[in-house]
Amino acid sequence: MVKGAEMDFSALAERHRPEIVAYLTRLLGSAEDAEDVCQDALLRGFRAAERLSAESNGRAWLYKIATNSALTFLRRRTRARARWSMLGLDDVPAPAAGGTERAAEVEIVVRAVERLPPRQRAALVQRRFQEMGYEEIGAALGCTPETARAHVYQAIKKLRTELERKPR
Amino acid sequence: MIGKKKEEELIGALLGDGERSAELDAWLETPAGRQAHAAYGRALAALDLALGDVPAAEPRGAVYYTTMQSPVGPLFLAATERGLVRVAFGGSADALRAELARRRVARPLVRSDDALAEPARQLEEYFAGRRRVFDLEPDLRFATPFQRLVLGAASSIPAGAVSTYGDIARSIGQPGASRAVGQALGHNPVPIVIPCHRVLAGGGGMGGYTGGLEIKKRLLAIEGVVGNLSF
Repeated sequence: MVKGAEMDFSALAERHRPEIVAYLTRLLGSAEDAEDVCQDALLRGFRAAERLSAESNGRAWLYKIATNSALTFLRRRTRARARWSMLGLDDVPAPAAGGTERAAEVEIVVRAVERLPPRQRAALVQRRFQEMGYEEIGAALGCTPETARAHVYQAIKKLRTELERKPR
Repeated sequence: MIGKKKEEELIGALLGDGERSAELDAWLETPAGRQAHAAYGRALAALDLALGDVPAAEPRGAVYYTTMQSPVGPLFLAATERGLVRVAFGGSADALRAELARRRVARPLVRSDDALAEPARQLEEYFAGRRRVFDLEPDLRFATPFQRLVLGAASSIPAGAVSTYGDIARSIGQPGASRAVGQALGHNPVPIVIPCHRVLAGGGGMGGYTGGLEIKKRLLAIEGVVGNLSF
């Protein structure tokens, strides 16, 4: 029983690994940290694999353990800032017209995302980039779909506020 | 609609969360609505630029392993997609599984004779005295930088020759590090293929060996060295 569950978990983890690492990279601002946190999450998953059979949605369960590991990591992270430069801020396209302004906006948004409370940040990334609905986000964050939606909307309002504060 | 509700409906519309109401469309025709629409549009566009493309995760496949018989006893071989990660004298899948867990590597460990066919073939040729150079890429990601340096130096000792811990220490520019060199070689993840058995103690001593001194002597004999040494 446990052996079978472990095998199921291996297959599930291998299938969704790239997606989970991309999610964690967006959430943590560092591909390297994302790899570490993903390893940690998958190990927790291996250990809890027998519980997987009770979960109907394996992908949602992976997001849940990955999010828990990421939130723990963010609480412990002593570095003041994430290494957002990993995300290619330097390569933001700079077309001739308004390119500099666009790059400045991206920079502002990156800083604003960085300052979001971790759960808002997680909810925002899940909704915008991981193709998750509010039911799934709520399952990953351990909250109701309504709270998940509120997290996402709050986050986007803050991004707008930060952008408008931008000196013109 | 009050302002907050309109903004939230606008965000929902931009995220594709639901149907837009006629009220929202009407508000978007007003200056305040147009401004909010443009501002949220810019915020989401900047967000997409910032976080849309992230470096692709390196594919993490299985760690494949097999076992083979050899004149120095059973060998356990393991490889990743990058190359050979383990040659162990009498090692087992359980030992490697425990090590992967300790190193927090969450990869499945899969028995595959096919994946290890080439290393196994080259090792057989070596034991039969028909191969003096391995054409294999070791995957040394688990080794420390110092260990990689030492293993690299050991790799350059040709079959039929020997070196000493002190020579290796000098060759990597750390003449005082003989002891550390010995330890690094003792943890060689791919013995035989990286020939740490060709490194001896100074003054004619054999030094140590991860598989035991008998195996070290046996390997040096295969390479035609032992007869020339005085021990």
